[in-house]
Amino acid sequence: MPAPTKSDHARARLLLFSVLIVATCGLIYELITATMASYLLGDSVTQFSLVIGVYLSAMGLGSWLSKYVTRRLHDRFIDVQLVIAVVGGCSAAAMFFGYGHLSSVRPLLFSILVVVGTMVGLEIPLLMRIMKDGQQLKDLVARVLAFDYIGSLLASLLFPLLLLPYLGLVRASFLFGTLNAGVALACARVFQGQLARPRLLLARALLVFVALASLLILGDRLERFAENDLYEDPVLISQKSAYQRLTITRFGEDMRLYINGNLQFSSVDEHRYHESLIHPAVADFGAPRRVLVLGGGDGLAARELLKHASIERVDLVDLDPAMTTLFREHTLLTPLSGGSLSDPRLTVHNADAMRWVEEHRARGGDPYDVIVIDLPDPNNLSLGKLYSRTFYRLVAGALAPGGTAVIQATSPYLAPRSYWCVVNTLEDAGLNPRPYHAHVPSFGDWGFVLASVDRRPPPRRVPEGVALRFLTDEVLASLFVFPADQERLDVEVNLLNNQILVHYYEEDFDAISPLRRRNG
Amino acid sequence: MHDFRVLELEDALGGTARGGELPRSRHPLGAHYLPRPEPRFHALERLLEDLGVIIGRDPAGRAEYAPSTIVAASVERHQLDRIWYAGISPEHGATPAEQAEAERWYAHLRALDREGPDGRRQFTLPSWRASAALRELDAISMRDYLQRLGVTSWRLRWEIDYACRDDYGCTLEQTSAYAALHHFLARGYDEDRPRPLLAWPDGNAELTRRMAARLGYIAAAPVDPHARVRTRAAVVSIDPDRGALRAVLRGEDPEDPGELVELSARAILWAAPRFVLPYVLTARGRDPLAGHRGPAMSYSPWLVASVELLDRPGGIGSPLAWDNVPVQRDNLGYVVATHGEDRSDTRPGAVVTYYEPLTAETPAVATRRAELLAGDLSRWSDHVVRQLAAMHPGIERQVTRVSVTRWGHAMIRPVPGLLFGDALARARAPIGVVRPCATDVTGLALFEQAFYSGVEAAEEALARLGRGAASMIP
Ligand SMILES: Cc1cc2nc3c(=O)[nH]c(=O)nc-3n(C[C@H](O)[C@H](O)[C@H](O)COP(=O)(O)OP(=O)(O)OC[C@H]3O[C@@H](n4cnc5c(N)ncnc54)[C@H](O)[C@@H]3O)c2cc1C
Repeated sequence: MPAPTKSDHARARLLLFSVLIVATCGLIYELITATMASYLLGDSVTQFSLVIGVYLSAMGLGSWLSKYVTRRLHDRFIDVQLVIAVVGGCSAAAMFFGYGHLSSVRPLLFSILVVVGTMVGLEIPLLMRIMKDGQQLKDLVARVLAFDYIGSLLASLLFPLLLLPYLGLVRASFLFGTLNAGVALACARVFQGQLARPRLLLARALLVFVALASLLILGDRLERFAENDLYEDPVLISQKSAYQRLTITRFGEDMRLYINGNLQFSSVDEHRYHESLIHPAVADFGAPRRVLVLGGGDGLAARELLKHASIERVDLVDLDPAMTTLFREHTLLTPLSGGSLSDPRLTVHNADAMRWVEEHRARGGDPYDVIVIDLPDPNNLSLGKLYSRTFYRLVAGALAPGGTAVIQATSPYLAPRSYWCVVNTLEDAGLNPRPYHAHVPSFGDWGFVLASVDRRPPPRRVPEGVALRFLTDEVLASLFVFPADQERLDVEVNLLNNQILVHYYEEDFDAISPLRRRNG
Repeated sequence: MHDFRVLELEDALGGTARGGELPRSRHPLGAHYLPRPEPRFHALERLLEDLGVIIGRDPAGRAEYAPSTIVAASVERHQLDRIWYAGISPEHGATPAEQAEAERWYAHLRALDREGPDGRRQFTLPSWRASAALRELDAISMRDYLQRLGVTSWRLRWEIDYACRDDYGCTLEQTSAYAALHHFLARGYDEDRPRPLLAWPDGNAELTRRMAARLGYIAAAPVDPHARVRTRAAVVSIDPDRGALRAVLRGEDPEDPGELVELSARAILWAAPRFVLPYVLTARGRDPLAGHRGPAMSYSPWLVASVELLDRPGGIGSPLAWDNVPVQRDNLGYVVATHGEDRSDTRPGAVVTYYEPLTAETPAVATRRAELLAGDLSRWSDHVVRQLAAMHPGIERQVTRVSVTRWGHAMIRPVPGLLFGDALARARAPIGVVRPCATDVTGLALFEQAFYSGVEAAEEALARLGRGAASMIP
């Protein structure tokens, strides 16, 4: 056996270094996939354990397959590196993209996982076989496995502490892809002598390296692109406030608002939603003078209200000043709201709706003829409070004699238990609910409730003298009709201290698709 | 009635219902909640109306509470083998036999929730207005009662034991069966809806603050010697026959030795702990408790600590609730002072208040009290952080401040025989113009009990002054 030379030592070190990188990258891809899975599919415990299980078994598969690789070990090793670099490096971007375009991302996610796992599983045995010349088995196994495990440790520390917070998923995966490709490139150079087609491999490695490095540099924009994809249409404005993420997209004439990724309106059909929300309530009261709007920081409900000459004052309570400022000031958005938020009749209050009404009552504030409750869907406990009996009692107390409240109440079709729970809760709060619904194409069949202290029939005529696109007297009457398969359900009342509605909502929507929620 | 004075020993009003403040939030030092009263508790509803907790009535006449005072979901969760579950019953993993036993227990409670032959409820508030039908249950311990019922499930026993420790600072071995059942039934058995709880960031301190405000008391104002409500006023002697009372009034300066003043009163309501009274009575022999033999009044010591955290506590399973209870531990877990913050509050962090009664059999409880009061505070704050870390590994790194309160005589212990025995009757009995009426002489340390006891004593005093009116207590 010839004595090892200096360059043999250098090679051995490079190989051990690549073990480290491979192990780190492997685990990073696994963590990225698991995180993506829990972001996109929910339920992190299930997603994490599935991903880990599938990944480890794919690694086992790779190790087993390694026995079929008998020739040109160095070439294969570099090829495997390049496959991991490309698939792993692009994994996060691909999943984001896939989420926007595929009916289910699960197959994509698991394909990525299986490919990367198998390749990583193949890699270590190959490496060991490459390195075995000139070393005793016990030393070899000890070194390779030690570096392998150190790599895993490194990854598990880097991922939560640095990568996720500072780079985000898309750029982190590009970064590790680039590192993988870098190792492949270095190996291709150092092992030139042992390669069957050194130039071709070198060129391939260089190409992958450059491609991934450029993607890494473009990563920032790609993240926007990925977000775009999530939103189907080009993102126009994306702003993170203290409370939520506001995103506005535009495609042609269609402008859409998303809160935390959930659609709030599409400019193509929002008139259906907002006309249905506002005018039945106005018609029900007659000629309201004082109106309170809870939520509705986009000013679209206010726009419909201000069409009525009788209205002298609108108090609009929305949690997020970023939202009301955006819709008051942004030149692309003010045409949508017709400048309602700068109308002298309207006052914006940035506060929690429950707290505001409670304080209004404690102050002995004047009652309202119409109260419009247009809040995000009850998908969490802090929003669920705003659909509780206690809240509706407060609202009832803030209504003027003969006053009318109108509540956006989720979808009676997609979330029937949630919808009827709102209706029952209003009734339990001593209000007379009159349920109705309208077809808003971008949401589906959407539900509202008119509520008043006294018992009255639904309004029959739309108010005169206002320009309407959707409502007519005939349509108005039809809104209060529910087909046989949408009968009222016998569900519980939503109390502040049990918040059964939040459970109904979760279950209703989980039964369809987590993507169809319209929440905040 | 305007001619009265309130004298309080401490710098602040409230006693065991006082509150404290950390930079992140106010927090309770002791009492932290009040169950929403049943409509039949008229006097209590009246108080809550006066204090602005009830803000109106719905068309059916039901009281409407200020929403911010109601503890919103999630109200409680418990931790069993590292996992958090909603509610307070450790049902996870229960066998069918255990489930059946639980069903039988609930059926038993339901059956007890009714009136006795004398037309009074078998359990109610105040406890001394209940029917006499089940009084013999006060003679035995809850442990013996459960044995008699054949309750063996550790889950149920834990839940009942927890209720006793939470309400009274006693285990089920130390609590009388009547007192333990009182916890479940005094306000009526809750069939399916959980009873709403009323709470504030610093607990019942908000109630005492509002009461004091109605008497014109302003905590921050300079001392006014003629004020109706006077803090830093130690009552040092009472002549029960002449109604002569002496008190030492201190100023703000902690070094101030104070000034001895004498007041004369036609009626004195002793709302301080009963065990202090003999020390201020000019004639100790007048104390009816002096010659008493039989179960004496004893008090449980409590450790309470509020902990400021950088982040809200999490945990695996059910999300953070207002009350968070570990199963099978000596401590009762913690209540979140910042739970009621609404969506407009985006500040990070939280303040949680940790509760631990130091339980022991009657003579040994004094040793535990000595143990609690001895030693420096840092030992106890380390203990609290360790207990929190047992629920939330790593939480110690989140802790920014700990404020420890040690209550040597926190709560009267309703041991078998106390509630309807001779001791309490003697403890409550007037001594000349003095009428003892703090929560301890009712046998149960509860806001409602203290309230009714105070109302009753006040009505008696008014009657003595010739201004009696119809009683507010049914
Ligand atoms: C840790 C803890 C938790 C609790 N939790 C709850 C709960 O969640 N819900 C509930 O309903 N109840 C709870 N309680 C019980 C509740 O606090 C009391 O029942 C209620 O506040 C009534 O107490 P009190 O006024 O009768 O007596 P105390 O609170 O004991 O007040 C007695 C007052 O007398 C003063 N005093 C003593 N000696 C003198 C003197 N010589 N001169 C002048 N003043 C004197 C003291 O300083 C004190 O302020 C709790 C109690 C404790 C200790």
